[in-house]
Amino acid sequence: MNNKPDEATLVSYLYGELDSVEQLKVHEYLRNNPEEKKRLEEWSSTRSMLHHLQDKEVIAPPVIAGADTVEVPLWKQRYIRMSLGIAASMLFFLVAARLLDLSASYAQGEFKIGFGTIKKTEQAAPVITEQRVNDMIHSSVARNNEVLQASWSDERKSLDQSIQKNLNSNSVKIDRLLQAASAANQEQVRKFVGQLQNDNLKLMKDYMQLSAEGQKQYVETLLVDFSKYLQGQRNNDLQLFQTRISSIETNTDLFKQETEQILTSLITNSGTTNQRRN
Amino acid sequence: MMQSDVLISRAREGDPHAHGKLVQQWYKRIYNFGYKFFYDHDLAMEVTQKTFISMHRNIAYLQDATRFRSWLYTIAVNYCREEFRKKKGDRSVSLNDLRPGEREESYLWEASGARDENPEKVFRQSELSDLLQDCLMQLSEEQREVVIMKEYEGLKFREIAESLNISENTVKSRMYYGLESLKRILERRKITRETIGYEQ
Repeated sequence: MNNKPDEATLVSYLYGELDSVEQLKVHEYLRNNPEEKKRLEEWSSTRSMLHHLQDKEVIAPPVIAGADTVEVPLWKQRYIRMSLGIAASMLFFLVAARLLDLSASYAQGEFKIGFGTIKKTEQAAPVITEQRVNDMIHSSVARNNEVLQASWSDERKSLDQSIQKNLNSNSVKIDRLLQAASAANQEQVRKFVGQLQNDNLKLMKDYMQLSAEGQKQYVETLLVDFSKYLQGQRNNDLQLFQTRISSIETNTDLFKQETEQILTSLITNSGTTNQRRN
Repeated sequence: MMQSDVLISRAREGDPHAHGKLVQQWYKRIYNFGYKFFYDHDLAMEVTQKTFISMHRNIAYLQDATRFRSWLYTIAVNYCREEFRKKKGDRSVSLNDLRPGEREESYLWEASGARDENPEKVFRQSELSDLLQDCLMQLSEEQREVVIMKEYEGLKFREIAESLNISENTVKSRMYYGLESLKRILERRKITRETIGYEQ
């Protein structure tokens, strides 16, 4: 808690003369500040010790009522003094008014206070009627409008003249500029078209040349690739044939052997049968 | 018993009976205020009598009856200050101030009322009161006024401020430093709650 209570607040807290909100704040502060709390406890202890100082017993003397009674004189009483004061003030005012020849008057909604005789003011000028005021306003507005109209038409005329003059001078200048520009443009266009045709021709020649060389190279490459492909295909076919032939040879040999075995076995079997029969 | 407000109203109207009642009610308080201020019976009596004479003469001018208490203490404080100034100017010493001495002959003995109590206890209480009164006398006049009014007369800070015609914050500040001084004085004299308990 940052807001440390001041001396007055701490003392008020000690004697319980703080409102509840302030009391809570101090309570919170003391909870967070044990040193301050200890100091307040010491004060409480001091107070409790002070209360051992007891009152002295004393007997009040009897008060004898009677002749000695002090009564406030009439002229000293508050209301009388106030009334006398007001009366004295009024008297003073009246005397002063008399001496200074004060006069007051009220006429036609006017209240006047003055010293000496009041001079009559001169008769005011006759009152201007509403109709008169309207007429004055109308005439003033009409006059103003006429003046404005006149000045506006003058200005418009001078403005028109100025615009016409500017237009004439500008149109001549623009014509000259356009003629110069058109003459310059025809020559430039011819030069540009000629240049463009030359450029195109050169470009087409280069393109055709480049294109013919490219086609030739491409065809050559294509032919080489095709011949390589045919050679490869032929090699593959030869290998296939060779493999087939060797396979047929193997099969033929095998067949021969089997046939020989079969014949051998047949021969062997027929020899055995003959021997048994015999 | 007549209500205080009614008594004050009647006294303002000049009722002698109400005056008498007010004196009876407040005499002891004003006497003890003066006594604690001076630690002197005669001066306290002087101040008390002057205060009640002044009250008798001027109560008709008291406009707000609810401020009677602070008004009465204002009178008492003013007389206390007057007597204090006189006392400071006067270099003579009262015979009552010559201590130690014949206590039985002194006004202190006369003032102690409870004679039927245990004499030893009465003696110890009297000694303790003297000690505390000595401590109180070491405070400055301004701090003493405030401490007595608050601790012994039970006035609110607002009432004390009214009585002394100063701001409430000044009263609290004097109380703050008065309590700090008293704490130090009591510590110096080794008067603690324990020693007081032992004495009693």
